[in-house]
Amino acid sequence: MDDSAPSRYITLVSSDDFEFVVLRDAAMISPMIKSMLERRGPAGMSLLEAQTGRCAFPEITGQVLEKVVEYFHYWYKNRNREDVPDMDIPVELCLELLMAADYLQLDSKS
Amino acid sequence: MYVQSARQNRAARSIRGPQSALTDFLASQNISAHQIRADADARRQAAAAAAAAAGEQATNSAEPGSEGNDEDGDADEDGDEVASAATTARRAQEEKRKKQAQAIEKIKKSKAYQKRKKDADESDSDDIADAMFREKLPPLPGQMENCEICEKRFTVTPYSRAGPNGGLLCTKCAKDLAKDDGPAKKKKKKVAGQGAGRRKVQSRILDGTYSVGAKSMMTLCIETLAKNIDLAVELGDLPAPLVDKIARQLSKRRLLTPQSLDLFLQPQCEDVNVYDGSRLSSYDYIRIFQQVTKLKNLKIRNAIQFKDDVMAYLITRNINLDGIHLHGANLLTEDCWRTYLEAKGEHLKTIKVYYTDKHFGDDLVASLRDLCPSLKRLKISNNQKVSDKGVEHLANISTLEHVSLDLRTFTSTEPYLKLINSIGSNLRTLSVKQVMDLDDRVLDAIHENCRSLSKLRITDSEVMTDPGFARLFKNWGNKPLTFIDFQRCRQVDAANPRENPHLVGLCSDGFRALMEHSGKGLKHLNVHACRHISQAAFEDVFSAEKEYPEMTHLEVSFCEDITDFIVGSIFRSCPNMKELNVFGCMKVKSVRVPRGKILVGVPNARGMIIEGFED
Repeated sequence: MDDSAPSRYITLVSSDDFEFVVLRDAAMISPMIKSMLERRGPAGMSLLEAQTGRCAFPEITGQVLEKVVEYFHYWYKNRNREDVPDMDIPVELCLELLMAADYLQLDSKS
Repeated sequence: MYVQSARQNRAARSIRGPQSALTDFLASQNISAHQIRADADARRQAAAAAAAAAGEQATNSAEPGSEGNDEDGDADEDGDEVASAATTARRAQEEKRKKQAQAIEKIKKSKAYQKRKKDADESDSDDIADAMFREKLPPLPGQMENCEICEKRFTVTPYSRAGPNGGLLCTKCAKDLAKDDGPAKKKKKKVAGQGAGRRKVQSRILDGTYSVGAKSMMTLCIETLAKNIDLAVELGDLPAPLVDKIARQLSKRRLLTPQSLDLFLQPQCEDVNVYDGSRLSSYDYIRIFQQVTKLKNLKIRNAIQFKDDVMAYLITRNINLDGIHLHGANLLTEDCWRTYLEAKGEHLKTIKVYYTDKHFGDDLVASLRDLCPSLKRLKISNNQKVSDKGVEHLANISTLEHVSLDLRTFTSTEPYLKLINSIGSNLRTLSVKQVMDLDDRVLDAIHENCRSLSKLRITDSEVMTDPGFARLFKNWGNKPLTFIDFQRCRQVDAANPRENPHLVGLCSDGFRALMEHSGKGLKHLNVHACRHISQAAFEDVFSAEKEYPEMTHLEVSFCEDITDFIVGSIFRSCPNMKELNVFGCMKVKSVRVPRGKILVGVPNARGMIIEGFED
């Protein structure tokens, strides 16, 4: 697994043990996840996450992570479109999503 | 012709009982009730036939195979269509007649008919049934009818709505009814509409927030939160930059109210930024000082109600502000400002005062030297009171590093010379706006004195010349600037707009020297309306071998010589360009914009075309 090309999918795990299988390219919008999956770490070693393709987020609940994953794919689907309809953000999750977005560094346009 | 038809009419007329008074009257006025009825019948029939034909045609086109089964299947296509239309019309007519007959039969059986017949037993029974049938038909367009709800008389149109009991409604009642059950339908429509829409996209281009692809998740969340800010009880422990973003978003729609202000008043905060305080009262401002006890930097825009009593309260509190930024606080008197500066001025590092008419004048500026010994940054914008004298006083404040002046009084060159000669060596920011009368001596003084400048703005000068600008930048001991704004430094002569014999304003040589000196470090450049920078100068500066890696914002609006080629060269020479403004550059026609960059103000309806996206 280490030397072969990495899988196209990665797994994100929420605090309440929900697992989400996400397209790797879509999740790369988050610089946070990208650095977790970096094959070569600063010391020439890769993190456990990079080896297994599993990222655990003990701060994010399944409910919120589900929305985040939805955003990943929404972003991926629309990455080349000019005229994109806004994704619906449920009002009750808004603050938690905002925290998650901040944690995952989803603020910059790439 | 007329005679014949009249005879026909007479022949067709059936023998009837006594006529009504109205019919008699109409007849005396040469109006035939029969004629009216016949016309109405014809109209109704034509409408029904047309509707039936349309329906038939639709089914025909849906199943083309069935068409040929008619009697004239071998005719050519056109003839076939006409023939089938004719047959359908005939069929529809027959059907209609049958239906009418059925309806009349039904009426004849009904109780009402029996009753009427009893009332007028000698008259023809068919006549009564006929009349009752007509009563049941909906009124035709163009006729008058009583509204079912308000019983007012109104004209029936094809758009008249049917009421709850089957009658027709007048426009007003129909509207009221639509209001009651409208929203459900409207919501459906909104969901169907896809995309952000051209208007939205154009607006985002102007805002500079445009990008290909979806908005960032944070933007989406903040927008949703701003829309529902009244539901939020507290923001929890969001990081400060996020809270600031939310505050900015709220000001966009003037949503900061006394209630939502509470969300931003955390006791541990050091900065409070109120981006729009127009809905806050004096009491709300006092509340800021009560709740945020560690306040260091206060910024309030549209601080209309920031009055003397608010300032008086601030003086009594144990809050020593580092920076104060007030916008539009016109109710604050100069005396109060002075009292505040006397009490707390020694801590102040930043004073920014925007949009005041009377209460921040020369005397106050003169006392800044003694009252604010650590003042580093001073901005006086849109001020109607500070004049030449005030500018002269600024020369005494040796601690100043950032000076921004946008005065509405008419200022002259000398005070600025004094300012630059005495404190120019410390200055990192020098921004003077709307200085029509400033001349080359100021540029020379900057060249002589300033060594640590990074932001320079001189706008609207009508006297500075191109050699002056060139002298400023040639062999200047200052490091490259990061921000330059020379907008509207140009020759103004309505009679001879093109000619510029005295080289007034920033022209080709000045522009070349500017880019030569600062190009490497320049991030923002604004040469808006410097009309005499030539095409050759632009092409030289943005030629293939030159690169300006830092440049992100460039404004060349109303530089007439900008062409498609130059715009393309700019994007090539400035790899990190984010936004390029080309309003009024009429030679820009169909340049391709690389992805991730914004070109604002293309002078045609199609606007910015992104490379690889044209179809």
